[in-house]
Amino acid sequence: METDIFKALADPTRRAIFEKLAGGGMNASALRDGMEISQPAMSQHLGVLRNARLVREQRQGRFVNYEVDPQGLALIARWLTKYRAYWPARVDTLKALLKDMDQ
Amino acid sequence: MSNIDAEQHTEQMVFDYELDAPLEKVWRALSIPAFREKWLPGVGLADPEPLSSAPCEEIRYRMRDGEPPFLESVVTFQVTPNADGGTRLRIIHGLADARLARDPPKAANSNLPCLMRAA
Repeated sequence: METDIFKALADPTRRAIFEKLAGGGMNASALRDGMEISQPAMSQHLGVLRNARLVREQRQGRFVNYEVDPQGLALIARWLTKYRAYWPARVDTLKALLKDMDQ
Repeated sequence: MSNIDAEQHTEQMVFDYELDAPLEKVWRALSIPAFREKWLPGVGLADPEPLSSAPCEEIRYRMRDGEPPFLESVVTFQVTPNADGGTRLRIIHGLADARLARDPPKAANSNLPCLMRAA
């Protein structure tokens, strides 16, 4: 699952799409605004992001809206992995600070 | 703020550390912005002001991940004196992102299942 995420975000275009969606959900044509990308290519990229559970789609009548999927288990796993390494490093810095501080 | 407390289903992690410094000193490092900034940079926080603070016991900050989708979380630091004159620091860090709420209408209604019954 982690590998899917890294593969999905390794592509700069997909990363740009993902970051655009992180600012708020939108449909595929609004997503293409300002990007040099064909409609089929956009669909393909969105499919990869969806399979990695980074993005989810919601039908609204004739339109499909895309948004970042914060419920994606993979996304939560990535968050946990990141902060599991973050806190021990922060506490090391805290310990050094405590040594430098006056009583 | 109440919506944060309502988040009970989210992932959280707990770390315990023994620090070789008195509680009062650790508390200053946790709560005074100039000290806090030196080990917990404001760039990782959603708000440099604590979410809540109980002096020499517990302080909480709202955090925001620096990467998309910028997941929001709450970190709680609890301090208690240990037997060696040092301080035990407990870090509880849990996701608290409004977008993670699953099925909000159902959850809002979960305590009142029978009120809508018609005769």
